[in-house]
Amino acid sequence: MLARALLRRVFLPRYNRSLSQSPRLLQVQEAPKLLSVWIDDKMVQVEPGTTVLQACAVAGVEIPRYCYHERLSVAGNCRMCLVEVEKSAKPIASCAMPVMEGMKVHPHSDISKRAREGVMEFLLVNHPLDCPICDQGGECDLQDQSMAFGSDRSRFVDNAFGGKRAVEDKEVGPLIKTIMTRCIHCTRCIRFAGEIAGVQDLGTTGRGGDMQVGTYVEKMFKSELSGNVIDLCPVGALTAKPYAFTYRSWELRRTESIDVLDGVGSNIVVNTRGEHVMRILPRLNESVNEEWISDKTRFAFDGLFAQRLTVPLARDATGQLRSCSWEDVLSRVSGKLVSIQNPANEVVGVAGALADCESMVCLKDLFNKLGSESLYSETPVHIGSCGNDLRSGYILRAGISALEEADLILLVGTNPRYEATLINARIRKGYIHNECEIAVIGPYMDLSYQHEHLGDDPAVFSGMIRGTHPFGKKFSRAAKPVIIVGEGVLARDDGAYINNQIYMLSRLSPVHGSDWKIVNYLHTTASQVGSMDIGYNTADLPDLSSTRLLYLLSADSVDVTRDQLPTDCLVVYQGHHGDKGAHIADVILPGAAYTEKEATYVNTEGRAQVTQAAVKPPGEARDDWSIIRALSEYAGHTLAYDNIDELRERMAEISPTLVNIDTKQDSCFHSLCVELLYRTSPKHKPYQTPISVKLNSLADFYMTDPISRASKTMAQCVQAVKQADKN
Amino acid sequence: MTYRLSSLTYTLKLLRSSYRVFPPHNTAQLINTSSALRSHGGLVVHRDTNENNPDTPFEFTPQNLRRIDTILKNYPDGHKSAAIIPILDIAQRQHGWLPLSAMHKSADLLGLAKMRVYEVATFYTMFFRKPVGKYHIQVCTTTPCMLRDSDSIVECIKKKLNIKMGETTKDGMFSLAEVECLAACVNAPMVQIGDNYYEDLTVADMEEIIDTLAKGEAPKAGPRNGRFAAEPVSGLTTLTEPPKGPGFQVRSDL
Amino acid sequence: MFSWWRTMQESGGLWNSIKIIYRRSDLRVGTLVGEDANGNKYYENLRYQFGRHRFVDYKLKEFDASQVPPEWHGWLHYMTDNPPTKVPPVPRKFHAEHQANWTGTTKDYVPYSTTRPRIQSWIPPTNKQ
Repeated sequence: MLARALLRRVFLPRYNRSLSQSPRLLQVQEAPKLLSVWIDDKMVQVEPGTTVLQACAVAGVEIPRYCYHERLSVAGNCRMCLVEVEKSAKPIASCAMPVMEGMKVHPHSDISKRAREGVMEFLLVNHPLDCPICDQGGECDLQDQSMAFGSDRSRFVDNAFGGKRAVEDKEVGPLIKTIMTRCIHCTRCIRFAGEIAGVQDLGTTGRGGDMQVGTYVEKMFKSELSGNVIDLCPVGALTAKPYAFTYRSWELRRTESIDVLDGVGSNIVVNTRGEHVMRILPRLNESVNEEWISDKTRFAFDGLFAQRLTVPLARDATGQLRSCSWEDVLSRVSGKLVSIQNPANEVVGVAGALADCESMVCLKDLFNKLGSESLYSETPVHIGSCGNDLRSGYILRAGISALEEADLILLVGTNPRYEATLINARIRKGYIHNECEIAVIGPYMDLSYQHEHLGDDPAVFSGMIRGTHPFGKKFSRAAKPVIIVGEGVLARDDGAYINNQIYMLSRLSPVHGSDWKIVNYLHTTASQVGSMDIGYNTADLPDLSSTRLLYLLSADSVDVTRDQLPTDCLVVYQGHHGDKGAHIADVILPGAAYTEKEATYVNTEGRAQVTQAAVKPPGEARDDWSIIRALSEYAGHTLAYDNIDELRERMAEISPTLVNIDTKQDSCFHSLCVELLYRTSPKHKPYQTPISVKLNSLADFYMTDPISRASKTMAQCVQAVKQADKN
Repeated sequence: MTYRLSSLTYTLKLLRSSYRVFPPHNTAQLINTSSALRSHGGLVVHRDTNENNPDTPFEFTPQNLRRIDTILKNYPDGHKSAAIIPILDIAQRQHGWLPLSAMHKSADLLGLAKMRVYEVATFYTMFFRKPVGKYHIQVCTTTPCMLRDSDSIVECIKKKLNIKMGETTKDGMFSLAEVECLAACVNAPMVQIGDNYYEDLTVADMEEIIDTLAKGEAPKAGPRNGRFAAEPVSGLTTLTEPPKGPGFQVRSDL
Repeated sequence: MFSWWRTMQESGGLWNSIKIIYRRSDLRVGTLVGEDANGNKYYENLRYQFGRHRFVDYKLKEFDASQVPPEWHGWLHYMTDNPPTKVPPVPRKFHAEHQANWTGTTKDYVPYSTTRPRIQSWIPPTNKQ
């Protein structure tokens, strides 16, 4: 334990200590002197502190390893990375040994090769012959490295019939299938659980040949990042339980896409076989999700196969929804649209959590052509007078990767652990490597790091601004403070006032006005920032008693019941699941889910990312934007674009941020935002209601949108968590 | 002729390599018993039982808490987690064995995650994670003791207490365990009960020890055949006389 | 070797024999052993070479070997010497009605999936809102 902490401190200099801790605050650091290392007689120059393994990677030599992982602390227990170094009697573990000046490494020498063969032989002695029934076959590190570096024969001759070691399987939840006989004790899962997930429930019990990796007591691995150990485990000891035994990795086709189940926009790879999604894996993106994804992202895709809208439906005279053809439903909706006299008040559209930018642009264009501006986003955001106009007033301006450099983070009205899991992982990274302090204003929450709970009373801000609250002083001393404002504040009626107070607090900091972005906003849905960029209204829904057509674009959490609407109102629902929106709808237009369309989503830091179509939409369902385009043609107000490229040109006209894919735009005019809000903010005190957070427990995390609500795996997770909490 | 002989030797070699070797019957190693069960530590997973579950009542006595405070002063700030081994030892001495709740209390005391404490407790075989008798008899059966007939000591205990290896008597007074070398090889055969070694045993000695313990008295620890510690039985061969004083073999005129 | 003249005579004359040779490519005569429910007639002629002494005269013009019912099949293929007229078949509970091979016709069997469809559609609730 001590050695590991020491190694981390000394040998990972990439995570710089924060300026406030450094004694010489303003001295410019010199460039470190590079060390020369000879790898296979080829010289490379590396910074001091890199390990031999990293230096070999720079030289282009890949050294095999099981326990080493770039994002975890160094363990050095698998011994597969042993290489010969000149002037050393024994081969050294290259993942742990830092380079020295003039070191000569021979990764392809006889000693290195024999070391690898020996380690491979030992690992395979106690490894069960499970390849035919193991899910990891085809993507197994043990298989690949034994082919590349192992010997072709083994000296394991079991004359005494002692048998190979066998270990009990552990029950760690409905998501992870553990077959611990296959475990090679690399301890990657233990380090991940402790360092990145923040849950110290996994460990090694026993010793020697009887060592087992597990939780000792039968405990569920209760973390929202638990599925990542499946990727980490180099062998088939930890595999996915929901889709076990359903595929082999070589028959899957990879499609790079984006996850839309939360506001982070994690990069994923959708693996399909034929026309069926088999699994979802993370894709490396250093700026957004590194190489992790949350459990909901990974396992909720089986909700794509249940409760799907596959045919257009319309209510007949008796009020029963019946399947129709596209012509019928489109003519019915367009007929209603054209017949409305006063569209400005009587045609209302609501964009839901999973609505993509293309369809939102189409819908806004169509409504504007008809004369209506009443387009709302499902989640209200009360940020003040600048509203949607200034982008820096509603996005995570610092960017997700900058959060790990902060040294003080104040979370207001947000539980990032369950609202934006990967952002929480990044905060935890800063907490561990950068000694970041975190404070929370909101309800008591269980975050994966220690934090100071400042209460949930909105009046605490005035104390901080005046200087009476001790946190205010701490804030003004921090070198890189960050304030993250979440839905708990933005959805309140007095959100603008609290926002103003937050701006006033940020002015206390000496870095206010510099390049460092203090105030950031965290949205929980994939469509929120996109809808605000396009120009959707983020106020509460108005009085709907005179609405004649309500267009729900995948809107399932909108708080509307039929009795709020007049009897002749036509409710149109365009989406992909039969959730709440479809229940109140009169006409249902089946759209495509995120794995079935090429669509743009803007994540909470303002980064536009594009999903790709991995499979075709089921049945009669179509791409969302093309439904609206067809509707516009039926209604006589044909939209000016016929294909997605022309639509993207239109999107570029509206906002260039929508078409600059995968780049985070630096937001400007923030001072204008602050000034506007200060001048126009309501002068009353905030309401006495405490700041609350919608998702405050793991059981709430799993089912938050139509896809995860339809998923059997997520339901099992909720049950398992509730059961574990009861025990 | 040579051809025939070499083919004969080749056939013999084939035959020899195809012999199936069966394990002899009297070895402790069995084909179908996992090494985890055979080891002294027992299983390294926890199963809740009536007497060992998270609700087993356990609290450190005030005296033990003072001891723990003293122990904690040995360790520098930031490394107090190293005190987990002595604290678990105090818990075991207090309770007789180490229940799960004691591990939890020790974890809370040091601010450690419970899993870290489980790791330490399962690593060391001197932490008994299952109930043991009041007098836990640990018999060494490794080579030097085995050569000096530790088997008959084991048989004597088994017969006298009517228990098998690894079991506890019904009144909970005695339990028997077979352990590895206790580093008292000169005084083989020997047993460890609690903190004391009882060495140079004969079967009669063992029975006497058990009777004394059953009465509640403390039997004499150390070698039972009269010698002092590891001194040679037949008498000292070196250091037989006191050291020579000053002036030994020094010229008288100096 | 039976006389072809006699065979032609017993087949019903020259014109009939030509018709039979045109359709069946085979002119044989024999004693009628029996007839089955479909109307196929079964003959035997022990003067022919052993192994070719039993034959069937199908009822339908579009004849097919699978139209021979199981009770006659054994006799026709020389598995047994007892035609069903002599030894009637033992009726069993599990015997199904004999069907000829329908391949190529509209009644043919086409395999279909018995699994649940991968994507389950939403079934709208039946109660009126």
